[in-house]
Amino acid sequence: MELSDWELVRKCQEGESEAFQELVARYHRKVFLVVVGILNHREDAMEVAQETFFRAYKNIKGFKGGAAFYTWLYRIAVNLSIDFQRRQKRSATEYRETMDDLTDKGEGTELANDPYVDLQSKELGERLLAAINELTPDHKAVIVMRAVEGLSYKDMGRILGCSEGTVMSRLHYARKKLQEKLAPFI
Amino acid sequence: MMMDCENVRKSLGAFLDEELNRSEAERIRMHAQGCPSCLAEKEQLERLQASLKSVLEGRASGVAFGPFWDGVRRRILEKKPWTARLWDWLRPALYPERLAWAIPVAIVLLLGIVSLEQFLPGWRGGSNRGNTTAVDSIDGHGFNVAVFRESKTKTTVIWLYENQEEEDESAAEPASPDTSF
Amino acid sequence: MNLLRNPLRRTLLFSFWLLLLAGNVAAAEKGQQAVQLIIGTILASNESEDFDSKLSKMKNQLEVIKYRSYRLIKEESQKVPWLGNAAFEIPGGRTLTVVPQEYRNNRLALKVRLQDGEKPLLDTTVRIRNRGNFLLGGPAHEGGVLILSISGMTQ
Repeated sequence: MELSDWELVRKCQEGESEAFQELVARYHRKVFLVVVGILNHREDAMEVAQETFFRAYKNIKGFKGGAAFYTWLYRIAVNLSIDFQRRQKRSATEYRETMDDLTDKGEGTELANDPYVDLQSKELGERLLAAINELTPDHKAVIVMRAVEGLSYKDMGRILGCSEGTVMSRLHYARKKLQEKLAPFI
Repeated sequence: MMMDCENVRKSLGAFLDEELNRSEAERIRMHAQGCPSCLAEKEQLERLQASLKSVLEGRASGVAFGPFWDGVRRRILEKKPWTARLWDWLRPALYPERLAWAIPVAIVLLLGIVSLEQFLPGWRGGSNRGNTTAVDSIDGHGFNVAVFRESKTKTTVIWLYENQEEEDESAAEPASPDTSF
Repeated sequence: MNLLRNPLRRTLLFSFWLLLLAGNVAAAEKGQQAVQLIIGTILASNESEDFDSKLSKMKNQLEVIKYRSYRLIKEESQKVPWLGNAAFEIPGGRTLTVVPQEYRNNRLALKVRLQDGEKPLLDTTVRIRNRGNFLLGGPAHEGGVLILSISGMTQ
């Protein structure tokens, strides 16, 4: 029988490191998705996602279960990503390199078989990522969490330490920006 | 109608995210059915959301658990030096976006210095520094008076020339170069 | 404010505020206490080369005034409340009156009057550092001049 997040957390708090490994297995992909969505750079995202779990491990004894484990984890991830990005401010050139790497390796969007659709999707994907990259870290965070995880405004508010109303207005603003940039493609 | 469209568009995102209450959601749905431009806007938002999901999810395809866990475990086993831990702790507070706190902290520090002076009088310098005297007012009642301040020892001397006739012959001639009167 | 989210940082900031508060309370208490005034009367002259060993702590200060000999002839201390009068007898029939007026920024404001009998010679208001001093010199006495070291301290 699969243990719940909270049961695994309790085991971690009692010193069972295998339980933490299970939590990492459960959430590493999701955390990475959120982080890479904000940072738009795979290597950096990998570093930050791993650091997220390391911080969670170091502080797991302080986790009291008042919130869901994943909101707590995402909160660490988003804060680290935002901090990282403010520190780095990666250039657009690097972004393009990353995109090229991605598409060369076939790791980009889920491409259709039709070559025309293929090309269109690739272009949309690139433009979409470029448009996201121009958003502020706070706006990126809500866009990514909503798109990837479908998190509720309430959960996002908890993660970002702001109200549901703020989440709503950030999402509205961010989507409007993306719509403006991508109008001919969507 | 225009104003209504504007309000509807503001709430379209929340509508698609199912974050509106039932009556509000119904109002948006009804409006969109009868308003081609809002319907188009809604569909565009849906496509945007679908594209976002697809593009972003595609980026995690190459993340295998093994190497990821190795990276996490390496961090757990690695003992960071205390300087690195201190820097990790301090760093987030030093980003320009967060430097707003620097203003209150500067004020607090200033107040702290003033308060420290109450605990440790003269802590900022030696005894000489603590000896500086300010002369607010002086009245010699017809006698000549001079104020001398010697910078090296920060000594302040008020000299009263009680006997005018002896004044010129007096040996009392303070040596201060920065005599003030 | 992100700075306050971290409990350790919160504790540090709180401690700092406590320190401030304690400092200001201490300052307020200090403001209510009495002032200890110490008047040293020194005779400076050129009649010898003697330097009174009791004045060794003031040697640097006294060297500012170029006499050859210094002798402490009297030292008197009085505890006086704020705005209270402290009168000191100075050799030669003179009187020194000191009124501590206020304590601010670690400085004592002192109103000082020197008079010869009933005749005022000098009125001045000075602000000295707590435990600091200043010198008042000039009155002639026994072939030399008197130098008064006026110092004050509050706890």
